[in-house]
Amino acid sequence: MGALRLIGTRLGMALLTMWLLSSAVFLSLRLLPGDPAALVLGELAEEQERAALRAKLHLDQPLARQYAIFARGVVTGDLGPSLRQPGVAALDRVKEALPPTARLAGAAVGLGALGGLAAALLSAGPWLGRGRRRVELAVIALGATPLLALAPVATYLLAVRWRLVPLPGDPASGAGGLLFAAGLLALPLGAQVARIGRAALLELGRAQFLAVARAKGAGPLRVWILHALPVASAPVVAVVATQLGALLGGAVVLERLFERPGLGTLILEAYGSRDLPVLEAAVVASGGLFVVTQTAAAVVHAAIDPRVRSS
Amino acid sequence: MRWGVALGVAPAGAVALLSTGVALLSERSPTRLVLERAWAPPSLALPLGASEGGIDVLAALSHGTARGLALALVVVLVGFLVGTPLGAAAGMAGGARATALARACDLVQSFPSFLLALAVLAAVRSPGRLHIGLVFCVTSWAPFARLALLQATVLRGASFVEAARALGASRPRVLLGHVLPNLLGPVAVQGGSAAAAVVLGEAALGFLGLGPRDGVSLGALLEQGTAGMLRAPHVLAASALAVAGVSGSLQLASESLRRWVGGPVDPLE
Repeated sequence: MGALRLIGTRLGMALLTMWLLSSAVFLSLRLLPGDPAALVLGELAEEQERAALRAKLHLDQPLARQYAIFARGVVTGDLGPSLRQPGVAALDRVKEALPPTARLAGAAVGLGALGGLAAALLSAGPWLGRGRRRVELAVIALGATPLLALAPVATYLLAVRWRLVPLPGDPASGAGGLLFAAGLLALPLGAQVARIGRAALLELGRAQFLAVARAKGAGPLRVWILHALPVASAPVVAVVATQLGALLGGAVVLERLFERPGLGTLILEAYGSRDLPVLEAAVVASGGLFVVTQTAAAVVHAAIDPRVRSS
Repeated sequence: MRWGVALGVAPAGAVALLSTGVALLSERSPTRLVLERAWAPPSLALPLGASEGGIDVLAALSHGTARGLALALVVVLVGFLVGTPLGAAAGMAGGARATALARACDLVQSFPSFLLALAVLAAVRSPGRLHIGLVFCVTSWAPFARLALLQATVLRGASFVEAARALGASRPRVLLGHVLPNLLGPVAVQGGSAAAAVVLGEAALGFLGLGPRDGVSLGALLEQGTAGMLRAPHVLAASALAVAGVSGSLQLASESLRRWVGGPVDPLE
């Protein structure tokens, strides 16, 4: 019962987020001062041209009717053709841009979760002795460094100056480039995971079931990895879910930095060329990607940690 | 203990004073183009060198930081003034109202606000600080409301609140006279980290080319540094250090004040 109710709540919130985001996109383009047709065609365009464009974008209809057309477009995935590449549906351009971003964000979540959990184990477990404090300090320093400042500097030093890693924007860079970009994106996430994971592990260190495992003769490695880690990974999933918004923003920044194709690049390009249907489709699709991942993380969190289900 | 707090707040104060001081008092312009000194390395006349088009990096840095901080101050003030009473009132009321506000905070704090900013700024012909600030204000109240809600829920059961009620104080009087003064401190220290988030958000928008049209922004300078990293690494180094320094000093100030005042940590931060 609890699990079903939780999934219902999360689904409701996901739908609400999507509705709010797409309505904000719709309204800001129509209610803010300024004629979108003039925005697209420039100030010097003929009135006839503008009228034609307004008709094409349904801007000549009443707002409620426009909203109905837009809502149907969001649900059916048809937001009209691209303005700058006539004949290509806006959704097709989004479909083309989705996989690179999904790969980048997915790899970053994987690297951040693994690296963060490893750092949490090292800073809470018995292996490093005094080095534990050093791991903890490194995690705090990494967590306080904004990706926006770190990524260009790391790129300059590692990829341009010392040539230790390939430039992720280079199409020939392949897996190495993706790994470098995802590693950068994973740093803030990993630091957060390490911080929360360490706190969870330290709390668990005093738990009774670990003493039972120890009394039964399990070594420290077995105790920490087999018994403590699965319990500590529950809050980690929650951290990942709350960091998704930052992750998406970070992905846009990195795509711009490396000039990699992806949703962020598509949004910026559509923004620059005022390709309104593509912009709407790309923002709504990014929101969809975000909401689906977030809901999945919340459900996984509930599946791992029985305390969430019952509360 | 007091000295520790002073040490924690000092860097943020120094950043604010230095940037506004240089921006207001020196004659250096953050926008004047002098083509012959484009990408010039640091020298006595230009302590941090010049960037694209010969713009004085020191001037761009101080004006960008000062304006970013001013934007953050306004957004954080609005968030604080809207969020705190909302959270305190809902916390005192308890029940369905408190749950509804907590849900609303969940929604707003996990909202992809970066996408929202992109969508809104795309609809404006030339985005300025006003538009950017408005977009940030849509979400900036939530962390304050959540903390005020948490604190008010704790204070509701406190004995001095019960005593005030037993003496016949009305609901608004309990809220304004007893609960609100006791939660202001713990909620206000959230301001530093909220300001850091605004500074970073504005810089990220500037980096993507969606910043204010006058081009005076830490993010715009960082973008120039990235584009010119081969010719003039000093621009990249100066702007990256500034972005990290401003947000780091604000977070440090927030954290040391929180330890001093004592108060809950936002679970979503």
